[in-house]
Amino acid sequence: MTLLRTRPRTAPVTRPSPLRDAVAAEWMKVRTLRSTWAFLAGGVIATALGALILFFLVQSYDAATPAERANFETADPTVVTMPFVMFFVGSIGAMLITSEYTTRSIGPALLAVPQRRLLIGAKAAVAGLAGAGCGAVFALLAFADARLMLGDRPAPINPWPRWTDAIPTVLCAALIVTVTCLVALGLGAVMRSTAAALTTLGGLVLVAPIFAHFLPTVWQLRLASVLLPNLTPQLAGSDHPYLLSQGGAAAVTAGYVLLALAAGAISFARRDS
Amino acid sequence: MECMIELRELTKRYGDTTAVDRLSFEVRPGVVTGFLGPNGAGKSTTMRMMLGLHRPTSGEALIDGRRYDEIRRPLHEVGAVLDADAAHPGRSAVTHLACLARSNGIGRARVHEVLEQVGLSGVAGRRVGGFSLGMRQRLGIAGALLGDPAVVLLDEPVNGLDAAGIRWIRSTLRALAAEGRTVLLSSHLMSEMAVTVDRVLIIGRGRLIEDTSVAEMRDRFERDVLVRTPRATELTGLLTRLGATVTSTADGDLIAAGVDAPAIGDAAAAAGIPIHALTPRSATLEDVYLQMTAEAAEYRATVTKEDP
Repeated sequence: MTLLRTRPRTAPVTRPSPLRDAVAAEWMKVRTLRSTWAFLAGGVIATALGALILFFLVQSYDAATPAERANFETADPTVVTMPFVMFFVGSIGAMLITSEYTTRSIGPALLAVPQRRLLIGAKAAVAGLAGAGCGAVFALLAFADARLMLGDRPAPINPWPRWTDAIPTVLCAALIVTVTCLVALGLGAVMRSTAAALTTLGGLVLVAPIFAHFLPTVWQLRLASVLLPNLTPQLAGSDHPYLLSQGGAAAVTAGYVLLALAAGAISFARRDS
Repeated sequence: MECMIELRELTKRYGDTTAVDRLSFEVRPGVVTGFLGPNGAGKSTTMRMMLGLHRPTSGEALIDGRRYDEIRRPLHEVGAVLDADAAHPGRSAVTHLACLARSNGIGRARVHEVLEQVGLSGVAGRRVGGFSLGMRQRLGIAGALLGDPAVVLLDEPVNGLDAAGIRWIRSTLRALAAEGRTVLLSSHLMSEMAVTVDRVLIIGRGRLIEDTSVAEMRDRFERDVLVRTPRATELTGLLTRLGATVTSTADGDLIAAGVDAPAIGDAAAAAGIPIHALTPRSATLEDVYLQMTAEAAEYRATVTKEDP
């Protein structure tokens, strides 16, 4: 019985960089996880529900008196929809690593790429790509919803009387989804458990903003200003009640990525698997 | 011969517990080497350290002169199966292997080739979650063969397998070694090793107890002869004079060591002592192994001897 090609072996001829191979492998992994598609479906549902809420808001706007209209809440879909999108897309980032720990497939993954910084770097690249891609698509969807339903209604219900006004918000929303995905990967690397990572992620993007409301006003704003979902308007420099300048928001955003990825990488490199 | 795997004073401590204690050995190509020890002896920890999954507290494990995590695209040099369940249950067999292959620059064609080799081509598209243990072991081995490696490491590969699966693993490993590869497999069962491996490394409590060949192990341990005779006292005297050490069992049979069965038969015939039974006995490898590791076994059941 010949089990294998006869030795001595010949080395493969084409050798692209190990990072490119590792990224390609991680990309294949994320595509072939069922949970990835489930979380994307979650993002689609959140976007649809956001559109529905917007629809009712526009209806009540149309039925309101001019005085009431002048005090109407801004129908910015990124406020309603994006935190949920952040959670669902971020979950994909967390699952990049927790799915391997919970199914023990981290073993073969590390046998194939034993350089841990290379492996987590490849995962971070994929989390970033997936986050940016999904973030852009969902932010654009939310924006398109708003354009369709708001039409040429004026401010304050219409956050973007001209469509070009939406560009910074859409870009920054996509960026914040990307950042969330990377933060979630870091959480996953530290916690190694899907349940723990997703609960923490949910706490960070969905629960903390609600929790902030119960704090005294001063603290409410201080906390709310550094929460991931609220960084979008601060980065975009649009109308918002928060405290950070665009530069300050950019620094906090970078801080999230650095802190989460550094903690994740150190934990991943140091602990036994 | 060059040595492919080399452990130097490899040590792993978890707090106060020393799982692997200054373990040094070499594994050479061309033969199947068994890594044997009772449960908890440190086999898996050692293998995980060899493969960079656990960090040694001190010492090092080198494969072809390098630490595992220094090898780029290691699947081309080392294939390992540590855990049959280590594939995502939601992925198909072919996707699981394709992900591993992609990370080491190995093409799709090779994925189908190894699936063919381990006999899983027919279920390549099925989810691993629905696989039997035997199929998952085969999948693990397919993964280990992906890069056509010179070194193959398997941790307890026959655990939970049926007879056909065990036979398949055995012949596969022997074929791999015959091709000049370095093959190391761990097990806690001597009976399994006896028919599969050429060399055995026995560890207990994280320390190397023996580094020997199976043949040597068989030879080394003393054999004795069970003799049944109605004139036991006379025969005892006779055999003792021949230089044998004779003890008697509860049943009145004699156990003679240091003299072989023909010599006993001849001596008894010359003296006119009738012999009713004459049985040469050799310690089984299992006995030898249990004797060697008895001291080192982490957990031992209290054996209650039956009353005669």
